[in-house]
Amino acid sequence: MTSVPTEASASSRPRSARYRPLNAIVTGLGEIAGRRRLTRYLVGANLKRTHADTLFGQLWWVLDPLLQMAVYIVLVTIIFARKTPDYPLFVFAAVLPWKWFTTGLADATQSITTRQQLIRQIQFPKIILPTSAIVAETVSFAFGMIALAIVYLFFRDRITGWLLLMPVVAGAQFLFTMALAIFLSAANAFFRDTQNIERHALRLWFYLSPGLYSLAQIEPSHKIIQDLLRLNPFAVLFEAYRAIIWGSEVSINGTITDLPPGPPDFTALAALSVVSVGLILVSIAIFKKAEPSFARIL
Amino acid sequence: MGLMFQRFRSVPPMPSRPSNAVEIRDFGIRYDLRLTTRTTLKGSLVDVLSRNSGQENHFWAVRHINLDLAYGESLAIIGPNGAGKSTLLLALAGILAPSEGDIVTHGQVSTLLTLGAGFEQELTGRDNIDLAGAFLNIPQKLMDELTPSIIEFADIGAFIDAPVRTYSSGMRARLGFSIATAVTPDILLLDEVLGTGDQTFREKSQHRIRELVEKAKAIVLVTHDLTYVTEFCNRAVLMERGTLISQGDPGEVVQLYLDRTADRKLLNEADAKRFTAEPPSSR
Repeated sequence: MTSVPTEASASSRPRSARYRPLNAIVTGLGEIAGRRRLTRYLVGANLKRTHADTLFGQLWWVLDPLLQMAVYIVLVTIIFARKTPDYPLFVFAAVLPWKWFTTGLADATQSITTRQQLIRQIQFPKIILPTSAIVAETVSFAFGMIALAIVYLFFRDRITGWLLLMPVVAGAQFLFTMALAIFLSAANAFFRDTQNIERHALRLWFYLSPGLYSLAQIEPSHKIIQDLLRLNPFAVLFEAYRAIIWGSEVSINGTITDLPPGPPDFTALAALSVVSVGLILVSIAIFKKAEPSFARIL
Repeated sequence: MGLMFQRFRSVPPMPSRPSNAVEIRDFGIRYDLRLTTRTTLKGSLVDVLSRNSGQENHFWAVRHINLDLAYGESLAIIGPNGAGKSTLLLALAGILAPSEGDIVTHGQVSTLLTLGAGFEQELTGRDNIDLAGAFLNIPQKLMDELTPSIIEFADIGAFIDAPVRTYSSGMRARLGFSIATAVTPDILLLDEVLGTGDQTFREKSQHRIRELVEKAKAIVLVTHDLTYVTEFCNRAVLMERGTLISQGDPGEVVQLYLDRTADRKLLNEADAKRFTAEPPSSR
C-alpha cells in the first residue's frame, strides 16, 4: 500500500483556533518554498496556454512588445511631434516591463476564480496559484529580451555594460508585482469587480508613470507633480530601466539633455524592494486569512 | 499514529482513542449568503448601506454533527438532496474548514473525485498526470512509479501524448478516474459511486473501487444508490437538513430513510391535494 504525506493536518485544524498573522506568514512562505514542483508544472502549463491557439504561437512573445512599441511611436513622435532621440528604444524600455506587470497581474488576479472546480475538489495551498502566474509571466519577460535585442540592432551605440544590471531592476519589479498579485487574487475571489477595476486602474497608472516621457520632461514649474510621481513605484522602475537601456534625461535650466546609459538609482530601487517585501508579507497574511473561505464562496 | 495525534490535537481536550480514524465533534459549516457566488462590490455596498447584515444572511449547511469512525469501518451517509452529505464529505477531505467544532482525521484522507475538471487543456495527458501529482503533493518518485499503471488503466492509447483539449469527455473521465484511484488512502471518501465511460470501463472502474474499498482502513460513502449502502458498508447514518437523524445498522437506517421518504411523499401529496381541492376562498 502506498502512503502519501498530506495536508490534512493543516486542514483538519479547527477553525476555532485563533488566526495568527505571523503563523500565517510563516505557513504561506513555507508553502511557496515547499511546493516548487507544483509551481514548475503550473508555470509550464501557463506558458503552453498563452498563444497556443494562435497562428504565430510563441512568436507573439516577441511580436507583442514590438507592435505595442510601434503604436506608441506613432502616437508620440508623429501625433504629439515630440523629439526624443532614439525614441523607439526609449519607449521600449517601458513597454517591456509594463507588459510583464499588467499581464502577470491580470493572470494572477483571476488565478483563484478560474480554478473554482479544482479548489472544491482538492486540498492544496492556494497561494501557489497567484505566485506561479507571476513566475510564468517572468519567463515571458525573459523571452522579451529577444525583442529588445532586435530593437538594439537599430541603436547599437546605446548598448553598454549597464544592461547587465537588468536582473537587479527586474528583481525589484518582481517583488513589487508579487505583493500586489497575492493580495488581488484573494480580493477577486470575494469581489469579481476587482478584475474590471484593475484593468482601468492599470491603464491610468501607465500614463501617470514616466514611461512614454521622462520625469525631466515635466515642466519645472510643476515641481510638485514631479515629486509626487517619484512616489510611484513605476517611476522608480521606468527611470531605472531607461537608465540602463537607453540613458537618462536631465533638465538643466529648462533645456533637456540626454545622457548615455548609466547606473540606475540604487537607493530608490533598494527602498522599493524593502517596501515590497513588507507588502508581500502583509499580502500573505491577508491571503491566508481569506483562504479557508475560497471553497465556500466560489 | 501517536505522533500524528499530537499534531492534530485541538483546543478542547478529546478522549484519546487512536482506534478512531475520524472524530467529529459538534461540527458545523456555515455559508455566508452575502459572499456566495458572484458577489459584486455594488451588492455588498447595498448590503452595508441598508444595514442588511442580520442573522438571516447565514445558512448552516450542516450543524451539531457528532460522529466517530473507527478503523475498519465503512460508513454510508444517506439522505435527501440538500441534507449536507456532500458538505460533510468536503469537510472530511479538508476542503471546507469547519465554522464551528472540530474534525480530526488520523491518517491520509483522499477523495475520489472526478479530477478531469482540473485538467489543463493545453497539456498532454502525461503532463496532466504529473500536474495532478503535484497538486496532490505525491512525491515525484512515487509519481514516476505510478504513471505507467495510471496510463495503462486509463487505456486511451496514443492520446496520452496529445493535449487534453483533444480528448472526448469519456477519455477525460477515464484519465481522471485513473489518476484519482492510483493511490490508496487510509481514509477513502466516495461521493456517489462513479460510473464512467462505456460498459467495459464501468466494470473496470467498479472493480477498482472494490479494490480500494478492501485496501482502505476506513471508508465514508455518500450515495443515493441504496444497494451500495447495504453491500459496501457496515454502518450508515441518515442526514436531513444538515443534522444526523439516525445511525446504526445499514439495513435499518435504509429502511428508516425509505419510510421517511414515503411519509414525506404522502404528506406532499396531501398538501398538493388540499391545495388543488380548496377553491380560492370567496372574494
